[in-house]
Formats: sequence, C-alpha cells, structure tokens
Amino acid sequence: MKAESRSEVGAERWDVFSRFRASGVSLFASGMSVFLLLLIGVPVVMVILMSLRTGFPGETVPLTLENYVEVYANPKTYQVLLNTIIFAVASVSVTLLITVPLVWILMRTDVPLKKTIYVLLTVGILVPVFLRTIAWIILLSPRIGLVNKWLQQWFDLASPPFNLYSLPGMAFVQGVSFVPGAFFMLAAAYQSMDPSLEEAAYTSGVGKLRTFLKINIPITWPAIAAVMVYLFMTSIAVFEVPAIIGLPARILVLSSLIFQSTTPTTGLPDYGTAGAYGGIMLVLGLVLAALYVRLVKQGKKYTVITGRGYRPREIALGRWKWAALAFVFLYLSLEVFVPSLVLLWTSLLPYLQLPSAEALSSLTFKHYLELPSHVGVTPFINTLILMFAVPTVTMVLSVLVSWIVIRTQVSFRGFLDTLAFIPHAIPGILMAVGLAYLGLAYRNYFPLYGTIFIIIVAHTINWIAYGTRTTNSVMIQVHRELEEAGRVAGASSQRVLWKIVLPLIAAGVLNSWIWIGMLSYREVTMSLTLMTRSNVVISTVVWQFWGSGWVPQVCALGVILILFAVTVVGTVRFALSRIGEIGSAN
Amino acid sequence: MQNSKQFLVYYLLLVVCVALAGVSNAAPIDELIASAKKEGVIEFYGPSTLGPEGAQAFAAAFNKKYGLNIKLNFSASGNMTRDVGKVVGLAASGVAPEWDIMVVTDSHHGSLWFRKLHKVFDYKSLGVDPKIIEYDNGVVSIANQFALPAYNKKILPAKDVPKKWEDLLDPKWKGGKLGVLSSVHHFARLAAGPWGEEKTTDFVKKLAAMNPTLSRAGEMAQRLLLGEVLVSATMQDSQLHESAEQGAPLVFAEGVQPVVSPEYHVGVLKGAPHPNVGHLFSVFMTTREGQQLWEKYTGHSSAYVQGTKAYKYVQGKQVVFMKQDQAQLVDKLTRQYGKIFGFDN
Repeated sequence: MKAESRSEVGAERWDVFSRFRASGVSLFASGMSVFLLLLIGVPVVMVILMSLRTGFPGETVPLTLENYVEVYANPKTYQVLLNTIIFAVASVSVTLLITVPLVWILMRTDVPLKKTIYVLLTVGILVPVFLRTIAWIILLSPRIGLVNKWLQQWFDLASPPFNLYSLPGMAFVQGVSFVPGAFFMLAAAYQSMDPSLEEAAYTSGVGKLRTFLKINIPITWPAIAAVMVYLFMTSIAVFEVPAIIGLPARILVLSSLIFQSTTPTTGLPDYGTAGAYGGIMLVLGLVLAALYVRLVKQGKKYTVITGRGYRPREIALGRWKWAALAFVFLYLSLEVFVPSLVLLWTSLLPYLQLPSAEALSSLTFKHYLELPSHVGVTPFINTLILMFAVPTVTMVLSVLVSWIVIRTQVSFRGFLDTLAFIPHAIPGILMAVGLAYLGLAYRNYFPLYGTIFIIIVAHTINWIAYGTRTTNSVMIQVHRELEEAGRVAGASSQRVLWKIVLPLIAAGVLNSWIWIGMLSYREVTMSLTLMTRSNVVISTVVWQFWGSGWVPQVCALGVILILFAVTVVGTVRFALSRIGEIGSAN
Repeated sequence: MQNSKQFLVYYLLLVVCVALAGVSNAAPIDELIASAKKEGVIEFYGPSTLGPEGAQAFAAAFNKKYGLNIKLNFSASGNMTRDVGKVVGLAASGVAPEWDIMVVTDSHHGSLWFRKLHKVFDYKSLGVDPKIIEYDNGVVSIANQFALPAYNKKILPAKDVPKKWEDLLDPKWKGGKLGVLSSVHHFARLAAGPWGEEKTTDFVKKLAAMNPTLSRAGEMAQRLLLGEVLVSATMQDSQLHESAEQGAPLVFAEGVQPVVSPEYHVGVLKGAPHPNVGHLFSVFMTTREGQQLWEKYTGHSSAYVQGTKAYKYVQGKQVVFMKQDQAQLVDKLTRQYGKIFGFDN
C-alpha cells in the first residue's frame, strides 16, 4: 500500500510538473505572439490610420474616406494596378525561365565548376539592384545601348530591337535580379525530391530533356508554384527598378505611386493618399500570402527525408556539358560579370561616357581618392550597425518562434507561424511609411524617428518571415530524441534549447545571419523612406549620389562595397567551413 | 594758442564720438558672434554642386573671419522640393528641422515663407544690403542661377540647337529625346513673368505631349552625356559648371530668351537648433569673402553686384527674376505643372 502511494505521489508530482512546464511554455508563446502582433501590427495599423486622415502626421484631424475616394475614383489607379500586375507576372516569368533549368543543371547533372558557380551566385546578390540598372541603361537603352547599337549594325536593323524603358524592359532587369534568391529556394526543394522516378525514366531510355519536362517539373511543381507566388509578392513591392527605369518613362507601379506620394517632386508629402494606395498592396499581399502557405503545405507531400549520406545519381551530360555551362555563364554574365565591369569602367571615368578610345585615355582613380571626403564616416558606421543588429535580432526572434512552432504543443503555434510570415505580405515601402508615420505622429511614445533604430526595426520586421522559414526548416530536421533525452535528464526547456537545439542548428542559423546581414546592407527602399541626416546608410548615400549625377563616384563606392561584401562573406564562409557543420541535420 | 587748444578739444571729442559710434555699431555682430560661439555647430543644407569641399572651405573662412571654431555639417541637396516638403511636414508634426539653414532657390524659400517657417532676423542692422533681403527678413539673396535649354555639344549638331523656347516643341525631339527636369518651377517663373499663365500652361502641355524623359538635374546631366537625351528643356548653370569641371561637354542653348534666373537664398529655419550660427553664417555669405567662395565652388555670383560674372551675363538679355509678390503664383503653378508632366499625381 505504502509503495503504491509513493509511486502515485511521484506520478502526481510529475503530472503537476509537466502541467506547470506546459503552462510556462504557453505563457512564453503567448508573450511572443503579443510581441510579434505589436511589432508587425502597429505599422500596419498606422498605414490604415493615415489612409483615413488628411494633413500631416501629428495634426488633429477627423477621420475621412476622402483619400480612398480620390484614389479609387481616379482611372489612373487602375492603369497603375494593371502595370503592377504585368510587371510582376513578367518578372517572375523571366526569373523562372532562368532558374528552373539552372537548378536542374547544378543540382542534378555533372556540370563542372559547381563551387565557383555557387560563389558567383552569392556575389550577384551583393551588387545593389540600382547599380546594376545603370549597367543595363548603358547596354539596353534604345538610343545609346551598346547591345542595340551592335545588333542594329550587324543585322542592318532600322530601329533598336530592345527598349529598356518599357514594362518588358523593367521586368527583364528585375527578373534577372531575382534569380539567386529563387535558385536557393528551389535548390532546397530539389535536394529533398525523390529521385527514383527520374532514375526509372533514364533506365527506361527516356531522354534527359523529356525526363526534365515530364518528371522533374511536375514533381517539383508545388515548390515552383510556391516560389512563383513568393516572387510575385516581392515584385509587387519592389521599388528600385521602377524608380530608375519606370519613372523617367512615366511607367508607374504601386510602389512608385506610394513613393511619389510621400516624397513628391512638387508640392508636399501626402500620407493619406500613400495609405490609400497601400491598402491595395496590403490586400494583394495577404491574399498571396495565404496562397503561398497552402502551396508550401502541398509541396511537402512530394518530399522525402533523405537521411545522412544519401546522394541521388548525377546525370552525365556528355557533350551537352558545354552547352549547359554556356547557359550558366550567360546568366552569370548578365547578373555578375557585365554589371561589375560596367561599374568598374564607370568608376574610372572623369564623367559618364560610352566606351571609346577617348574615354580610355581619360581613366583616373580620383573618385576613389575623393570618396572619404564625399561620404564621411557616419554612413559606414550606421551600415555596420545595421549589418550586425538586424540579423542578430531577426535570428533570435526566428529561433524562438520556430522552437515554439516546431517543438512545442502550444495550441496556437500555427497562428504564431502565420504571424511571423505576414511581414512578407506587406511591402517594405509600406512598412517604412507606416513606421515613419508612427515616429512622427507619436514621437512621445515612439521616439525612434530619425535614428538608425527605426531602420533596424523596419528591416527586422521585413526579414523575420525569411528568418523563420529558415529556422523552421533546419529545426524540423533535428530529431526529437536528443531533446527528450535532455528533458528526461531533468534539463529545463531553456537549457535544452540552449545546450542541445541551438548547437545542432547553428550552421543553418549562421548562414541565414550572414544572408540577412547582406540583404540589410544593400536594402534601399525602407532606408530611403526613413532617411534623415542622422541615419544615412551607404545604400542611401549611393541613391543620393545617383540623384546628384555623381555617377562615377557612385560606381567607385559600388566597387568598394562589393569588394567589402565579398571579403566579409568569403571570410565568414571560410571560418564556418573550418568549424565544420556543427550538428548537421543528417 | 587758444584756437589750437579749442581745435584739439573738438578733435578729441570727435574721436570719442566716432569711437563710441563704432562700439555701438559693433554690438549686434559681437552679440551674434558670442551666441554663435556657444552653439558651436551648424547644420547646413545646400546645393550638391557646392560639394563637401566647398562647404568646408566656407566653414574655414567663416571661422577665420569671426574667430570661431564652428563645426559645419553639410547636407547636399538631392531634391530641393522634396527636402523643403520634409521641413514643412516635420514642422506640422511639431518636430524640429534637421537643418539650421537652407540654401535653396527663391521659389523653394517661398514655400517656407507662406507657412512662416523662417526665423526672421534684422539683417540690415548687420550691414546687409536691403535690396537682397527677401521674404520679410526671412532670407538673403546670395547668388543667381540661370536656367536655359542645355545639350551635349559633342553629340548634338549645331544646326539642331534650339534658338528659342518654342523650338523645343519641334517633333524631332519626340520619343524621349527631350528631357524635362523635376525643377518645373523654371516654367512657373515664365508664367509669373513675361509669358503669363495662359501662354506658359499651353507651352507646358505641348511639351508634356512630346513624351519627354523625366529626371532630376544630376540624372539628366548623365543622360545628356550618354546621348540618351539630346536636349534638356531646362538645366541649371550650376550643373553645367560641375560638368565643365570634369571636362564634360554640356552647354546652354545660348540665344534662347528670356533667360530664367532663380536666385539662391539663404535663410534660417524656424525651430533650428543653432539659429545664431545660422544668422551669422547667412551674413557671411553676403560678404566679399563669402561671395568669392560661392563663385569659386558653384560658379554662381550675384547679378545685383556690379562686375560679377552674373552681372555681366545678364547685360543686354531679357532675364526673368522672381519677386516676393510672385511667389504664391509660382508655387501654385509649380504643383500644377508637376502633375501635367507626370512627376506627381
């Protein structure tokens, strides 16, 4: 009797302890949910609030629907909406036309120089989009573009075949810039794809192209569709290409309308109209986000957990190897080599000129020497702060969110996961405008306007979706047994997270830390919207130089930034490879 | 002997009076210098053509003249209209401006004047010529810009260079070969001046129908250099000055009249963190040293001062200057023309 009582007491105590621990986890998860709701929700509420007001932030005015009437009664709004959709569809199409074959070539075939190609793909991201756009103007401008001039000469054409200043031109430049990001997203799907069907086709004598079209694409279709939706959401929100190529030709998309409203060329900022335009973006973004989540869930049906050491057989391309390599290097030329060469060339000119013997004789290093006096130290310091603070805060939040979503049984973990993904549905420019409005209207409660911290907040919100997708996927691959062993041994949840889970996912987290740091360094839309004299960063300096016509100086700065970023990324990656894959997921 | 003594007494009295007069006249500037010394910093917004080097040269000369050690932080303008809009927006939200003084055009300062966003000051008491004090003691004029159609002389043949404003409406410029700057206030000045509103608005509409390439001044200069745009409907001479320093072949279509002449004004913003340094610096910019420095680094000088480059340039030409009473109309038309061209909605 006594022995039974002791074990009953023990079981009861364990039961109480488990319930206490579970309620502690729920409390923590609730706290995270509230924090994220405020972090993400408040700027969104500001956008809605400013759309219902006229005048400036901080002015006491009644709520009104005047801005919505002005926006939706204007036929121009619908033309702009159509432009935005066409631009987004065309950009995504360009991206996938390049990315899908690229992924297959690099993930499934024996094409040589894979490591070099991966490094070059990463370098492509380091060149800010608007610097690359300068290169595209020199190549594809209808009047002075080198490619147009050569083609007209060789084929005796009456008019230039390419016009950069058009929706297709804009979509081409934007689509090419999306390829590295899309590549890494699809590569993950290819890695976890079941190769047995593909191999069965080859064994049966089916050709490589037919297998690619009839098997690879259908199997990876949910992943491709998810990437399409993700990129579509991004295309609706991008600003740089529409600003540099679209605005001079009066081709407006939603992001350029919002920017024009808050930083007009004539007149005064109109936050109310910006908010009303933002409403369209919000609705579109949320609908697409819901679609993306559904597609990702569907995609998981087609994946297998491959286990340590499993490698699908590489397809021997034979003489097609060189064609595949040519395709890869054609893309890399568009993305990396040509823009970098144009930047370097322009940085050495006294003023912008097309290549010629005269231009060659005037090359000079003076812009590099004058940069310190033109730029100063503050933008570099602010940029370094961003590159450290943004990924740190983002990844800390992401790890905590993913731990709750993947590792706990909290009933609302699905809601938390969705909440963490919602920022991707909200265009960066809208988030920045909302934060600016919050900072101006309620500066007594939110005294961040004009500081680097408001940009840190904006960037963190912007990339928390990316961070949590990464930490979700690395955490899900860590087997539960190790954690359970820790708990059975009496370790608390926090200790298990710190001592067991984090070391196992460290490599994935560090990779994302670097990635987000690089994205933050080159981001310009939000930094420009929130810019004041005190929080200038390198990307906004580049933008200002461009606006002032200091193009050779812009390019000199661009070359230095690329070298800096390549050095940082290369060093960290080398350090990681020396440390090794700590607790790799296999 | 007695006459000599009397003469000596009167002479000494005269010397004392002159000395006292000198002391009382020196008092305002000395007070301003003392107040500026306490502030120690100036946040200076000016044209990008001045550049950081020019701004620091100003700081050095300013400190030397008044025996100060003021730190000058220079913000180069990227878009004066946007930045003036920012000042207005911040003021409406009750936030202090980022800058102490702004050197922008008269029409931009007009936008601030309507909303009483200048910190006025009795510049006349410090010896500034009343002719160059504007907007109810809010600003002083320091230099004249000139704006005319511009082109790349290595690309555009001489026969195609516009000889009058109406030549810009020639169909040969259609399809983006013509550029229009975001500085549409150039046209608004023609409307407030010799052309009148109706003629100018009609001209602007016809110009917009040519589908010109829209751009800011710096970007437009690059497009002219590349040959992407063959002629810019207007361009400021400061941009040409900067291009010339780099050896770039951008020039005005001389002969086109009337010549539009925006003035650079300097004024202290209401709520500025360092107003006394701002006022003193504004006074300095009107002195001989200040004017020489401004001409050296921006190529501009004042058309009101005899013998200057600007003064010589305007001789024999029909030049459009804007005055305070035209500011409201220029402001209204600038917004209207911005929408016609498609810069704003």
